[in-house]
Amino acid sequence: MEARGSAVNTPASRPVTRRSKSYGRSCVEAPSYFWQTPGHLTVLKIPTSRGAAKSQLITDKVDPEHIALLVKNEWKLSYVTPLHHFRHTQLKSYSRHLAAFIAAEKQQGVAVEVGLEAGFKVTFTAVLGLAETDEDAETVFIQIQSKPAFAAAADAPKVVWRGWLTCVNGDPEYLRSLPPDFVSLPLFCTSGAESLTTLVKTWFERAFDCNFGSLALNSTTLNWLAALWTGCHPTCNIRHLKLAWSLPTQPPMDVSYTVNPQDAWELWNSIHPEESTDDKIDIKEVQSFISGLETHFFRHFKIYLSAGTLVKVSTALGSAHLDGKIKIGNSDYITTLLTLLTESALLKMPT
Amino acid sequence: MALLTPFSKVPELNTATVLLVENEEELQSKLANALVQYKKDFNVNVRLARKLPLPVENKETRPRIDLIVFVVNLLSERSLQSVESSLAHLHSDCFLGKVCFLVTDARCGSHTQERLVSVRKLAASHQSPVLCAEHRTVDGVNAAAVRLLNILKVSAGMSPIATTALYLSSLTRCSVTSDLEED
Repeated sequence: MEARGSAVNTPASRPVTRRSKSYGRSCVEAPSYFWQTPGHLTVLKIPTSRGAAKSQLITDKVDPEHIALLVKNEWKLSYVTPLHHFRHTQLKSYSRHLAAFIAAEKQQGVAVEVGLEAGFKVTFTAVLGLAETDEDAETVFIQIQSKPAFAAAADAPKVVWRGWLTCVNGDPEYLRSLPPDFVSLPLFCTSGAESLTTLVKTWFERAFDCNFGSLALNSTTLNWLAALWTGCHPTCNIRHLKLAWSLPTQPPMDVSYTVNPQDAWELWNSIHPEESTDDKIDIKEVQSFISGLETHFFRHFKIYLSAGTLVKVSTALGSAHLDGKIKIGNSDYITTLLTLLTESALLKMPT
Repeated sequence: MALLTPFSKVPELNTATVLLVENEEELQSKLANALVQYKKDFNVNVRLARKLPLPVENKETRPRIDLIVFVVNLLSERSLQSVESSLAHLHSDCFLGKVCFLVTDARCGSHTQERLVSVRKLAASHQSPVLCAEHRTVDGVNAAAVRLLNILKVSAGMSPIATTALYLSSLTRCSVTSDLEED
């Protein structure tokens, strides 16, 4: 179930008009509402409409070096429950602790070898400016560098692992309902060796009493991304709209469907005209966009794509895979992508 | 447009007929075998179809259908779409207890959750129950068959005392919680 709850005061909202009984006269019963106390106020609803993707010169708000860190790599997604006592001011001490933890874990149970990795250097940086609303916490970027074996002393350490925790446009009611000591950074993106990822997650779980879980994307999220990215075509050339489907045949068939961006944009424009003053895009428009693409495919190949699953969406602005892997191509539309991902992370989190 | 009506034919003695409608045809045959082989004290005829409307040629020889089961595989969008288009071919009298939705693969992953929500909303708007079934094991198919037989018995009018299909459907119909209804 998508609904989730948390303990908040019940609102005094619904009016109650009591039925008045009067003797000796016919009762005119005023309409009475049942006094409804919804058990959970902060129900995270799946939004059915959202604003169009807007390009933002994000370099105004965020340091371009930091942006360069985010773009380019392929990130694996996970969700994180709120962190307890996480302070953005203590990032340096966190980096020292994490480095010591990793070194200790690596030495455990391994035969002592002389001259191996000269230790890990961990850097925590706060990437300011990605947070959109007041309730969002600032993004934290973590880098692990180490000297490869047999390196000369003068060689610079190489970055072996990268990760970042972020929250962009998180549901404001939910964020406000958290107890004061908790910081919510629900989206965790990692790139690098899996062993280091598990070490970092263990350290976080021990230090901040949180839980990690892998975030697999929904086909609805992929549909939204396809529609939003296509809508950006006039302002930023998306170069192609590539959709990869997987059909449950024996053996499973993979279909790669590349659409010319201008054609895709014309289809999207006919569903959601660009000149319409309403900036909101409805889920029905997204669904008719996708079904338009599927019908076109059927007309040519007589294959029903809706019998399979959409596995990957990619444009020049980025790509997203069903398993929870994303790649950010262009930093201008990063906010839209991160908003969608934060939302799915918040929905996937256990209560 | 020829609609499927529930009461246009005379029922047969001690017999119930169930129509299984499924686009993928995976669960249909297994479920049909399980329904027929299960030990019970009345006869069951099982008819299979991929979608409605049913072919016109068989109209005269087809017996009265007591229960229509729509099988939806939650892993494919097409399954749900074909059920939605088939619903238009049913007479509105059928929804008084003669229609049931059966979903499979409801536990697989996060993309089925939203389809399950839409199936439940569809069923709630048609006042029909939703059953979840597991079609990959023999036990799962048998369990689904037993549940269907219980509902079939009532909608064929074979249940004693005053249990009618309408009464049962008002008890078993799918309800959506207020969070879902708020959309």
